[in-house]
Amino acid sequence: MPALPERVSLLGIRHHGPGSARMVLAALETLRPELVLVEGPPEADGLVEHVGELVPPVALLMHDEAEPSTAAFWPFARFSPEWQAMCWAHHNGVPLRFADLPAAATLGAEDEPDPVSVDPLGVLAEAAGFDDPERWWEDVVEHSGAGDPLALATAVTEAMTALREEFEDHVGPRTLRREAQMRQVIRQGLKEVTGPIAVVCGAWHAPALRELPTVSADNALLRGLPRKKVSGTWVPWSHGRLAAAGGYGAGIAAPGWYAHLWERAEAGDAVPRWFARACQVLRAEDLPASTASAVEAVRLADALAALRGRPSPGLAEVSEAALAVLCGGEDTPLRLVHQQLVIGEELGEVGAGVPRSPLAADLERLQRRLRLPASATERQLRLDLRKDTDRERSKLLRRLRVLDVQWGEPDSTRGLGTFAEAWRVRWDPSMAVAVAAAARHGTTVAAATELVLHQRAGSVEKVAKAADVLWYAVGCELPAAVTAARRALDRCAAAATDAVELLSALPSLAGTVRYGSVRGTDPELLRLALHGLLARGAVGLPLACRGVDDETAEHLVTALDAAQEAAGLAADEEHKSLWRNALLKLVGLDEAHGLPAGRATRLLWEAGDLDTDRVAARLHRAVSTAGGATMFVTGFLRGSAALLAADPRLFDLIDGWLTGLSAEAFADAVPLLRKAVSDFSAAERRTLGERVATGGGGISAGDGAWDEPRAQRLSAHVRGLLEGAGR
Amino acid sequence: MTSEPVLRPSAEQQYAGELAALAAVDDRPRPPSWRLSPQAVVRYVLGGTLSDGTEIVPKYVGDRRIVEVAVATLATDRALLLVGVPGTAKSWLSEHLAAAISGDSTLIVQGTAGTSEESVRYGWNYARLIAEGPSEAALVPGPVLRAMRTGAVARVEELTRMPAEVQDSLITVLSEKALPVPELNLHVQAVPGFTVIGTANDRDRGVNQMSSALARRFNTVVLPPPASEDDEVEIVSTRAAQLGRALELPAAPPALDEVRRVVRVFRELRNGSTVDGRTQLKKPSGSLSTAEAISVVTSGMSLAAHFGDGNIGADELAAGLLGAVVKDRVSDTAAWQEYLEAVVKERPEWRDLYRACHDLDTSGYA
Repeated sequence: MPALPERVSLLGIRHHGPGSARMVLAALETLRPELVLVEGPPEADGLVEHVGELVPPVALLMHDEAEPSTAAFWPFARFSPEWQAMCWAHHNGVPLRFADLPAAATLGAEDEPDPVSVDPLGVLAEAAGFDDPERWWEDVVEHSGAGDPLALATAVTEAMTALREEFEDHVGPRTLRREAQMRQVIRQGLKEVTGPIAVVCGAWHAPALRELPTVSADNALLRGLPRKKVSGTWVPWSHGRLAAAGGYGAGIAAPGWYAHLWERAEAGDAVPRWFARACQVLRAEDLPASTASAVEAVRLADALAALRGRPSPGLAEVSEAALAVLCGGEDTPLRLVHQQLVIGEELGEVGAGVPRSPLAADLERLQRRLRLPASATERQLRLDLRKDTDRERSKLLRRLRVLDVQWGEPDSTRGLGTFAEAWRVRWDPSMAVAVAAAARHGTTVAAATELVLHQRAGSVEKVAKAADVLWYAVGCELPAAVTAARRALDRCAAAATDAVELLSALPSLAGTVRYGSVRGTDPELLRLALHGLLARGAVGLPLACRGVDDETAEHLVTALDAAQEAAGLAADEEHKSLWRNALLKLVGLDEAHGLPAGRATRLLWEAGDLDTDRVAARLHRAVSTAGGATMFVTGFLRGSAALLAADPRLFDLIDGWLTGLSAEAFADAVPLLRKAVSDFSAAERRTLGERVATGGGGISAGDGAWDEPRAQRLSAHVRGLLEGAGR
Repeated sequence: MTSEPVLRPSAEQQYAGELAALAAVDDRPRPPSWRLSPQAVVRYVLGGTLSDGTEIVPKYVGDRRIVEVAVATLATDRALLLVGVPGTAKSWLSEHLAAAISGDSTLIVQGTAGTSEESVRYGWNYARLIAEGPSEAALVPGPVLRAMRTGAVARVEELTRMPAEVQDSLITVLSEKALPVPELNLHVQAVPGFTVIGTANDRDRGVNQMSSALARRFNTVVLPPPASEDDEVEIVSTRAAQLGRALELPAAPPALDEVRRVVRVFRELRNGSTVDGRTQLKKPSGSLSTAEAISVVTSGMSLAAHFGDGNIGADELAAGLLGAVVKDRVSDTAAWQEYLEAVVKERPEWRDLYRACHDLDTSGYA
């Protein structure tokens, strides 16, 4: 087999290894090649020209144009050898090309991975008794390499050749195909330039590139690869993502530490500066970390390195010294240092000139305008919807959620009322995939959101789903989408035959009606929709409660409660009375299931639409009909232990009914009652028992005597409060 | 030099041969006053074979990093604080470090609630003080003062058991490396090599917690309980064999299977679940440390030697196990019985142990 021509230099590297990055940089300076080839997807060749506009960590995002959510990332940190090669080529005006399988062939393809994935330099380092491959590289390779990067690269290739022979059965067909493609790119390069060529590739592949087999042999390997139209761009990346092993992560254990080493290598103060930064991290958390301790930590790290026969302290030594000196042997503060320094939260930047989808550009414009930068650290946001900027921010976050870009998470743990919203905002670089996927829906965030909501409104079949779409549309403040969602709601409601389905959609709709005015949608339109649903549900309710099983009855009770709340919140008087009549009808219906009937009785009694005598009569009737009686009492008392203990009216009602029972009727009622209160917690039952033991009384509503001046003072105060809140 | 046999020779006596051999082949630079280089100290603690063929017995089984951090700390003349739950070889490691570094592990202050400042720094020979007035001859130097004068390692055991004000008397010593004796207008300055190894119990933190001023002057190394069952079995079997030799027990060294059983019982009760994680167990109140496992095995050896056939078995272990586990008569007995019935009984190969423990139960504790 013909050997590789002399003018091609193979620079075998460890991906994301700062030691390799230094070697590559030095080698390129010595070689002054006319062409640089770097392991990576060839479709990205056109993106190399933007290197000058990027601040690492950044990643190449390549996605399938037909199916943009099928995407892959090639992340680069400042200390990545590939990145350094790109920077060198950029600054020296040397063409750079990527050499690897096209992304079209790898995207979404479930290619069989190598039987065992091998970190080749890791294996060599382990064989030499090192725990960190970077340490081994630094200690053994760089310190003995005596400054000749090319000799070093040759030595690495030789070591890898030996390793490849040993692990030959670990090389899968995918790796062989990748290497065939790399050789094709080298052949192409040899035709194009007459000067030296530098190839930056994973050390593992270097041995396979030392010889060039026939073109036809490589072609045979590459035959039948899938073809796709692939487009790509640069996206900001983060150290946290580099560290993550799964998903789109690169699995680098300590990106923050490597970046620190890369930055401080020139100045030579890596270790002292590291401890100074660790002290700052600890102090920021109010943990004791004095400068004197930092001095001692540096001394201990040096002593440890000397003890282990290493030329300078590495990550293991500085971590152990930090644990013993700065953290008092405790893991918790060390984890803090690990999170903030060893991994780090640095987020890269991509300049304005880099091509991106119109949607991504729009998003960036909005982020700038709303002063809402994408940040990798979580931030709490409190938005006052009466202010224009805050309302715009809320709108943006909501629209992005519709587009499946989960940048903001509504924080529902704090209720802030109608005019305020709480959000937790954190940008994860992999959200770039969702942005790319959303780009097919439209050129701006607003247009894309509108289209997505339109599509959803067109395809919903359930009333509740349609109400949800309406809720999103109102939140996103997209009038056209609101109209479409309303139409969808009407359509679903007309087709719905199930009262439960109609009634369950009400709470979401009631919320929308309440907040609609803040969101610039006419609340009357929404109220109209709500009334339609309520009317349809009210008509169907009594019939829906007939002849149902217990499970359905449970759903009915939930729907009843929800509808009652919604009606009270958002319906007008006419529809409230419609609803009331439906409940009355249900109560009067003997064949109705006991659970909803009991619940309805209770709701009406609470609202004052059913007087106490009639409730007592209804209770009596329930007990006389053995079947649904338990259910009726359960439905009536459900979830009201506290109320029963505190409200003398309810207590007296139950008490009066119980004591009025005849001996036989009481005997019949006891098991029912016992079952009804078994839903209550032990503490609630105890309170109730105490209440019974003390014999009535409790909190009374007063005897009707009225202290006029006192009431005046109180109402004046309350009015003041309300006016203050309205301003 | 011949001397009377002693019950428990100190580390530097017991391993004098190893220390001499290490010193002979040690060609690395030694910090001032150190008998060995740091690398040789690490090797002395962790064991190995020297170039001249001398076998060095491992003294500490566990993470190499821990020992390296400890030795590096002492080499930078910082004070070292070993922290851990009871029985994690804190004192053991401290003794061997002192023996290897200074050739003297006897400069020791035992911390108790009654430890006074005099026993840490210096006291007076009162007869002489009254007869001659304050003089250096009337001064009785404490272990720390003696270590400072000779550039040796002073050991403070159970540091957090001492009253806070006594603990704080170490601050000047550690930061200034000097000890003033105002009565004699004397200022004793430490010779290079002087340092302090303190040990403290995790569970004692609440008793007399160290002031932050003192804590800052120590590098802290946490000694974890043995990581794996195999590690613990190795510790228990080697230590029990050594102790048996020292006590001149005629019994054969314990069979590894018996040691493994003891260690498993200890680990399972300590962790509150069986090795396979399938059964949840009550945790007894005692710490069930490796040190106690060693003592169960040695007492079993002694029983086997004097009252049995010389071979350690379930009967010999049962009494020791019960004593180690049951520290609180009521709650621990329940935990132990539950363990017997739920775990020991279910393991066919542990039948003998179940029988032995069960017999003991009915006659003794339950």
